[in-house]
Amino acid sequence: MGLALTASCTKLDEKELLYDQVVQDQFFQSNRELVSAVGAAYTNLYGFRGGLTNVNEVTTDEIVVPTRGADWGDGGHWVRLKLHTYKPNDSEVNGAWNMLYAGVNGCNRLLATLEPLGTAQSIAFIAELKSLRAIYYYWLLDIYGNVPLSTDFKDITPPPNSTRKQVYDFVEKELLDNVAKLPKTGPNDQSTYGRVNFYTAQAALAKLYLNAEVYTGAAQWDKCIAACDQIINSGKYSLTLNYKDNFVKDNTGASEFIWAIPFDQVHAKGFNLNHQTLHQESQKTYNMTAQPWNGFATVAEFYNSYIDPTQNPGPQGTVVGLDPKGTPTTGTVDKRLSNFLVGPQFDANGVRLLDGASDPEDPDGQPITFTPYMNQLEPRAWRQTGARINKWEFYNGMTSDLSNDVAIFRYADFLLAKAEAIARKNSNWNDPIAMALVNQIRTQHGGVTPFVTMTDVSFLAERGREMFFEAFRRQDMIRFDKYNKAFTFHPADADKHVNILPIPEAQINANQKLKQNPGY
Amino acid sequence: MNITLKRLSFCIFLFSLFLFSTSIFAQGKRITGKVTDPAGAGIQGVSVKAKNANAGGTTDETGTFALTVPQNVTSLTFSYVGFTTQEVALRDQSTINIQLTPSGSQLTDVVVVGYGTQRKREVTSAVTSVSAEEFNKGNVTNVAQLLQGKVAGLSISRPGGDPNGGFAIRLRGLSTLGANTQPLVVIDGQVGADLNSVDPNDIASIDVLKDASAAAIYGTRGSAGVLIITTKRGTSGPPKVSYNSAVTAEVPAKFTDHFSAEEYVAAGGVNFGSNTDWNKEISRTAISQTHNLSLSGGANGTTYNASVNYRDNQGVAITSGFQQVNARLNLTQRALNNKLVFNLNLTNSRRTSSQAFSEAFKYATIFNPTAPVRTKNPLNDLSGGGYFESNFVDYANPVAVLEQNKNSQTVKRLNVQGSAEYEITQGLKFLVRYSQQTFNNFRTALLPRTSFHSRNFLNVSGFARNGYAMKGTDENFNQLYENTLTYDTKFKNLSVTALAGYSYQSFLNQGTSIGAGNFITDVTADNIGTALDLKNGLANVTSYKNASRLAAFFGRLNFNYQNIAFVTLTARREGSTQFGANNKWGMFPAASAGLDLSKLFTIPTFSNLKVRASYGVTGSLPPESYLSLSTFVADPNREFYAGNGSWLAVYGPNRNANPDLKWERKAEFDIGLDFALLDNKMTGTFDYYNRNTSDLIFNVAVPVPPNLANRTWKNVGTLSSSGLEFALKYNAIQKSNFSWETGGNFSTYHVKLSALSADIAPGSYIGETNLGTPGQEATQITRAYAGEDIGLIWGPVYKGLDQTGKYLFDDGKGGTTKDENTYRTLIGKGLPKFEFGWTNTFNAGNFDLNFFIRSSIGHDLVNTYRAFYENATVVSAYNAVKTKYYDPAVKDGQKFSSLHVEKASFVKLDNATLGYNFSLSKAGPVKSLRAYVNGQNLFFITNYTGVDPEVRYSDNGNALAPGVDRRETWVRTKSFTLGVNVGF
Repeated sequence: MGLALTASCTKLDEKELLYDQVVQDQFFQSNRELVSAVGAAYTNLYGFRGGLTNVNEVTTDEIVVPTRGADWGDGGHWVRLKLHTYKPNDSEVNGAWNMLYAGVNGCNRLLATLEPLGTAQSIAFIAELKSLRAIYYYWLLDIYGNVPLSTDFKDITPPPNSTRKQVYDFVEKELLDNVAKLPKTGPNDQSTYGRVNFYTAQAALAKLYLNAEVYTGAAQWDKCIAACDQIINSGKYSLTLNYKDNFVKDNTGASEFIWAIPFDQVHAKGFNLNHQTLHQESQKTYNMTAQPWNGFATVAEFYNSYIDPTQNPGPQGTVVGLDPKGTPTTGTVDKRLSNFLVGPQFDANGVRLLDGASDPEDPDGQPITFTPYMNQLEPRAWRQTGARINKWEFYNGMTSDLSNDVAIFRYADFLLAKAEAIARKNSNWNDPIAMALVNQIRTQHGGVTPFVTMTDVSFLAERGREMFFEAFRRQDMIRFDKYNKAFTFHPADADKHVNILPIPEAQINANQKLKQNPGY
Repeated sequence: MNITLKRLSFCIFLFSLFLFSTSIFAQGKRITGKVTDPAGAGIQGVSVKAKNANAGGTTDETGTFALTVPQNVTSLTFSYVGFTTQEVALRDQSTINIQLTPSGSQLTDVVVVGYGTQRKREVTSAVTSVSAEEFNKGNVTNVAQLLQGKVAGLSISRPGGDPNGGFAIRLRGLSTLGANTQPLVVIDGQVGADLNSVDPNDIASIDVLKDASAAAIYGTRGSAGVLIITTKRGTSGPPKVSYNSAVTAEVPAKFTDHFSAEEYVAAGGVNFGSNTDWNKEISRTAISQTHNLSLSGGANGTTYNASVNYRDNQGVAITSGFQQVNARLNLTQRALNNKLVFNLNLTNSRRTSSQAFSEAFKYATIFNPTAPVRTKNPLNDLSGGGYFESNFVDYANPVAVLEQNKNSQTVKRLNVQGSAEYEITQGLKFLVRYSQQTFNNFRTALLPRTSFHSRNFLNVSGFARNGYAMKGTDENFNQLYENTLTYDTKFKNLSVTALAGYSYQSFLNQGTSIGAGNFITDVTADNIGTALDLKNGLANVTSYKNASRLAAFFGRLNFNYQNIAFVTLTARREGSTQFGANNKWGMFPAASAGLDLSKLFTIPTFSNLKVRASYGVTGSLPPESYLSLSTFVADPNREFYAGNGSWLAVYGPNRNANPDLKWERKAEFDIGLDFALLDNKMTGTFDYYNRNTSDLIFNVAVPVPPNLANRTWKNVGTLSSSGLEFALKYNAIQKSNFSWETGGNFSTYHVKLSALSADIAPGSYIGETNLGTPGQEATQITRAYAGEDIGLIWGPVYKGLDQTGKYLFDDGKGGTTKDENTYRTLIGKGLPKFEFGWTNTFNAGNFDLNFFIRSSIGHDLVNTYRAFYENATVVSAYNAVKTKYYDPAVKDGQKFSSLHVEKASFVKLDNATLGYNFSLSKAGPVKSLRAYVNGQNLFFITNYTGVDPEVRYSDNGNALAPGVDRRETWVRTKSFTLGVNVGF
């Protein structure tokens, strides 16, 4: 024994001691390993519903995360999102950055590995990864503006800021250079499902151009329309028969999916809306395998944009009202009200849910009633207040990871984008083509009356009803100059520096070349 | 130093007086004899003096003496450092052979240093020996507890009374940010041994190598000091049997103060009509017992010591505790005329513990005091288990938490060590050692279907998962192979000892665990295969295996010039697999020297006065393997959709590799003074050290981009520290029927993060921690800045309340603000200014009494209980904490500030023992019998309002964040022990 040990007395190669991990050089031995490695650039998107969604939604009129007594105080960072007083070390500000740059770096890393290979498969992956990286940068430029452009994995020097315009130019160039190399597959083509194809890149371009005026000062309405038309005129996509079809548990390959994240409770974890929004007792409604957290909700003002006949003309019926008890009232019955869970709550056997810990002041008492009414943002929002987010189907036996796929780019969004670009290009919200596109959605998805006249305000409200909680509201409100105005729980902003978020403090600390955004 | 010089000149003055007061005695009697230690070996240098006369001498190398004393002399005194001074009456005898017994302060003259022993007087670096007599007594279940407060500069703390909790051990503040903030443990030569593999009863002595020159022989892992443990060995002679037994009663000493049921309701809390003292419901008088049986002896070249220890310990929290059996065999066989010595050490232990749940005390503090423990009302029997529960975050019925859920561990430890030493020629010895250590932990958790508790532990609730079970096993296995060659020789007046060695050690860690839920019945949850989760893909399975290796060459030269001057030179060149390809090897040299001034000048008051100085370099390893390698792992929660419902495991990098990662190096300079005076009645040690730990290994924030992950293990900066240590022992009274010995130690240190590496932005901080869940995950409470001491507690400065009851904070510009984020600054320091221990031992007839006082002064603690709950507005969900700082005027959400940082200096009566030694007839079978009572933690003096003011040296392993008293700390306890020691 001793002699055998002595023989290896000075051998200290750690690579010989690897058991549960593999050295990078020894990977990429087969096509399957190659695809497995490329997959990492996509699985990073399973964090999409974290910081990225939160900074784009909780800052807006759509979503509120109130402080419910001891719950959700979280050091005030949820409230700061709502008030636009976010700080460079707030968790969601960090979370979005880390997820997006993990995506950028993942693409950079794979590109550095694939580019020398030169095989047909690697070349196809390169175009796809460059497009995916451009989309990560599109989110970064949208949220943080002047982000560092890092494209070479081998360059390990910390990069300085680029201007928002430089990042915009980079994203546009990368998408344009690579879009033609991507497959023109449809929404349910299983060879590219969940991955960036030709139409995904067009959708990203459409989003980039739609917001180009905000990003660069120069509007790009024609380019936006052209990108939307690539999608619309392909004939591969159509509005789903029912709005809800986009959000049910088994929604893989829905006809509106230009690009979707294939969440799965076993294989692809990360979509936990049920936990974010449902009341603890709602566990019994769905026989959930874990207890929800009673957090995210919608406020009365936004909910009212669905039921208010002036804002949203359509068939009238009984809907949950806006008072503290959620008393039924008459209002517009938009099919998209399925976005919300309101009114009395029951367990799986139809027995009314009771909350033994309900707030004494809550007029609904122990029987649980979700109300669009919310008494306050903090510190003691009642436990039952707030319309709950029911957009994606909740199902019996769901775990803390939902199996519903989540569309990042959805067909209806680009009908609206085209409508908006046309209206803005012509400075006419009553442009007949724009109006027709909007009304196509209103009738088919909402089952409500077509608009006869339209304004920027009614258009934004329609976008809100349709695209609720799909992580676009922040850029939409900025584009319509509503982000800095007062809305429920949000007083008007003093100035517009809040339209881009601060660069996380951890990054500024660790990278001396990085300058903080103005105003922070 | 000044003081020392003054004392020196005083001594020289006394010395001159002696020169003039010569006396001549014409006639006398001649006395000869031999002085031996308990092992029978002669002691050289023992002072033998005639009482009331100027006659005396010292023993020679064999311990013999010869002197002539005046006829009227009636007694002789024998004194020697480390031994109790003895007085022998002179009658007609001309021969006196006596055996000196070691005094409490030093078991023997011999100090165990790395790879060998040295006589105490030869030691030239900072080493402290603690013998079994000096160990802390009572219900001591952990080796660290033996030493608590006994060694200047060695801080040991375990806040709270969790019987399964570990101790934090810090030498000289903080030495390293690497893997080993705890000292290296060497048990009978087995390097890197598990401190818990030896039972406290089996230990003969512990030597603490404090400075870098002493520890340098252990190179890489010596940065945080070395604890060298020597277990009890047999001696030749008839078998000796000893039996020790003790029973302990332990009770909670302090709970976190909170609203009574009346106060809770008055503050607006919901009244459920009961009045429950939750802390009482979950705690008990814990009864523990210990039995130790040992057998030792030897003949024909064989000596042995075998012992068996049984411990059954209860914790003060219901359902908590452990049972342990530890068996040890030490066997030595001499052969070939004693030239060949075989040694075998075997230890086997098995400990089964019920870990309980540390959140239980938190919940007992914050659970609604008007709620009953049990209910059948479905509104509150939320999980059908019959316990009252409510739906709030981080909130559960503490009785249910402890009674319903099972969290147990079975730890098995097996140590095997064999060595053979052969004396090739006179003074030249070759030693081969092989040892292996196996640690296995088998973990089981069962959360029944009716258990509501979900927080922190496994992050699931049995109720939500329809019952949940977890089984896992972890094994750590290491093998050590060493060769050493030592040579002792003498050149005229110069003794030289040379050592050369080679060491190779391999480490292997592996484990697997399964967690799965959805059972038809809780009863079969131990058959985890019946969990439906396994079939539907919702089970969690983990598995890992990793390894590392160390190889080292080392050498040491000791020079001793006539017991006057001593020099030690050491070097170790060590390589580890855990560093980058070009940085695997490190060199760790040391040099030290000492001069015994009492040998140069015959200084009357001083029998020993040694000055010494040392310098050495030690290293530190990173806490895990592979940090320099780019490797891929699969993320089991994130698979890639490969179309048509199929999925592919995704492989990606699991870290930012740092191929340049290199050894953390600690360079330390130490000067010391060892002295003995007043006929060895007073002994003491003084040390000053100054050290620099450079290339600190820390998991530091890095920018993303260009990095993949936002933290990288890097060499980030330099830590500087310096300190003073002082230890003193005094045999104040030494009479045959009464004695009093007192001793104390004092240490002070401060540790500064003196520099951060250039790629970290100026003014930025590292090592921050947050207040935690729920809700305060982003509330930073500590930081470490370049140029500042570590242990900075950081936050807003509390400035009172406004008229509406909102908190006001210093805005940094002389005014106040309601925004706690406007201005944050230093609001406390987590490390103490100094620490001391003071022990007293009295012997009167058959009685002995020992008490030990321990203190840490000048540290602050973040009282997280108060930071979360000392606010009446929390009663909507939680009971409020109410200490002397409680302010009913607060009408604000709870915000952390300097209000929640408290001075936590304390003085405590750590340990007190009263014993009685029965006088037994020598002819009887029982040779010795002692009975004792002991109390631990009998009283505290502190202003801290939390349960335990002990220093928190680190926060969940973050050594840069001391000073945070977490809510997961168990309550402080006090205990009373009744024990007997019987010798046959």
